Amino acid sequence: MNENVMIICRCEEVTYHELVSTATKYKCSARELKLRTRAGMGYCGGRTCRTMVEKIAQSMGTNTPTETNISLKVQPPIRPVSFENLGRISK
Amino acid sequence: MFKAIIIGSGPAGLTAAITCAENGLDVLVIDEYMSAGGRLLGQLYEQPDGSWWNGLRESKNLYTTAISLGVKFHFNTSVNNIEKRNNRWVVYTEKGTFYTENLLLATGAAESPVPVPGWTLPGVMSVGAAQVMTNVHRVKPGKRGVIIGVNVLSSVIAMELHLAGVEIACLTLPKMNSIANKEGNPSQVLDSLLHVSHMATSPLIRYGSKLLKNDFIKNLGIHFYPKKGFKMWNTPIQLRKAVIEIYGKDEVEGVVVAAIKANGEVVPGSEERIQADFVCIAGGLYPLVELAALAGCPFFLVEELGGHVPLHSEKMETPLEGLFVAGNITGIEGAKVAAAQGRTAGLAMAIHSGIKGLDTEIRHSMDMVKQTRESADIQFHPEIEVGRKRILREWEISQTSKQNHEALMG
Ligand SMILES: Cc1cc2nc3c(=O)[nH]c(=O)nc-3n(C[C@H](O)[C@H](O)[C@H](O)COP(=O)(O)OP(=O)(O)OC[C@H]3O[C@@H](n4cnc5c(N)ncnc54)[C@H](O)[C@@H]3O)c2cc1C
Repeated sequence: MNENVMIICRCEEVTYHELVSTATKYKCSARELKLRTRAGMGYCGGRTCRTMVEKIAQSMGTNTPTETNISLKVQPPIRPVSFENLGRISK
Repeated sequence: MFKAIIIGSGPAGLTAAITCAENGLDVLVIDEYMSAGGRLLGQLYEQPDGSWWNGLRESKNLYTTAISLGVKFHFNTSVNNIEKRNNRWVVYTEKGTFYTENLLLATGAAESPVPVPGWTLPGVMSVGAAQVMTNVHRVKPGKRGVIIGVNVLSSVIAMELHLAGVEIACLTLPKMNSIANKEGNPSQVLDSLLHVSHMATSPLIRYGSKLLKNDFIKNLGIHFYPKKGFKMWNTPIQLRKAVIEIYGKDEVEGVVVAAIKANGEVVPGSEERIQADFVCIAGGLYPLVELAALAGCPFFLVEELGGHVPLHSEKMETPLEGLFVAGNITGIEGAKVAAAQGRTAGLAMAIHSGIKGLDTEIRHSMDMVKQTRESADIQFHPEIEVGRKRILREWEISQTSKQNHEALMG
């Protein structure tokens, strides 16, 4: 198996190649990389691939991690919640 | 409504719960795992003094003490959000919403993934998962494994697997790419191992430091690192080879390794196959700070602490009133340091909730954290002290500017 087809975001099935080529083409931040590829936007909320998406953006020199900021924002819920319970929470 | 709520029942959370309860607070501990202990549960190794550190037993002792003091526990319960409303912290879980004026985040650390082609095959797991299977559930992850990533954690776990009778074909590096650039670079890996050479916990470190004390090898460094690697517990440690692929039809059948140059570049034509029925990936640890981020806590990136950590004081307070942190969420260290921090946090929470006369005790507890750190037999970053000082300095700066601001506002 070749490195390019290796899956980075398992939920959305985004490959290494897709991430690296998108980052190269758009010279984008980790956030933009996420929005363009959907990496980190699946079921697990980026628990597995968040750090990898950040590192790819960093390796392009476009996403120098700021001292005081986490580059990909953390959003609730941070764990999967069933629709039934999600409804209850928002009441 | 509880006087104190603690998220995470690792050594930090449990010790904090005990301390709060000893001082008369009613405490609720929430953990998404099914039992108490956190990452302590999987730890099983010989300490430099020859005694055994048995995490299962340590966890049980802490849990029994907490129960006897009346601490309440909710297991199998993930906290998926927290927020401050009407001066109270609101803790959201699928099993209900809880309220408190004293909230402690003791959520520990997570493992950094390092992707390798074929890593989505069944039989590939993080090295921490292999530790939990073996030491907590007493299930062998397989008969013969390969560990990708050479660091303090993977060498400790390799030893644990060896003791459990699981063969490890080798410990080796991942092939370098945009994600694994440090982990895949032999010079950088050797350098980080060199720094921890005073640690005696792991035979790798002991052996490695012996190797590195030899000036010849040290001077020539990684260029002369033995091509065959060196062995600990019969397990070869390869810093000059990298896994370029994990292969298998429906599950792991083995890995392809290649020789790499000192800078991590693969030597073409050097590929060979190693058979294995499971693979562990060890990319290191980082503080699990999601909840602190949701709360709006300020962060600082401190390499020595393992990544972004929430701003906190030596008393384990955050700048957000009633929100405390302890354990690996504040930086990656061993279980004993986490427990010592938990005690300090528990005292700070008791003081915040109005209990008087704890000043001497909390000062003593802060000293204990330092002492425990100095005598720690496991250290994840050689410059941990520098990282700790950095955060304390940031805390002082933030306090001074807060005071100035308050003075200005009258
Ligand atoms: C895989 C791994 C292996 C390690 N091995 C060693 C070792 O061999 N020796 C050593 O000294 N140190 C080891 N460590 C370091 C370890 O983190 C510390 O030893 C110690 O356990 C840290 O204690 P803690 O209380 O901060 O966190 P932990 O022990 O990690 O406990 C945190 C707890 O918080 C819970 N939690 C987290 N988020 C949520 C949430 N949102 N909702 C509900 N519950 C939550 C978790 O389920 C967990 O039980 C290891 C760490 C990891 C990740």
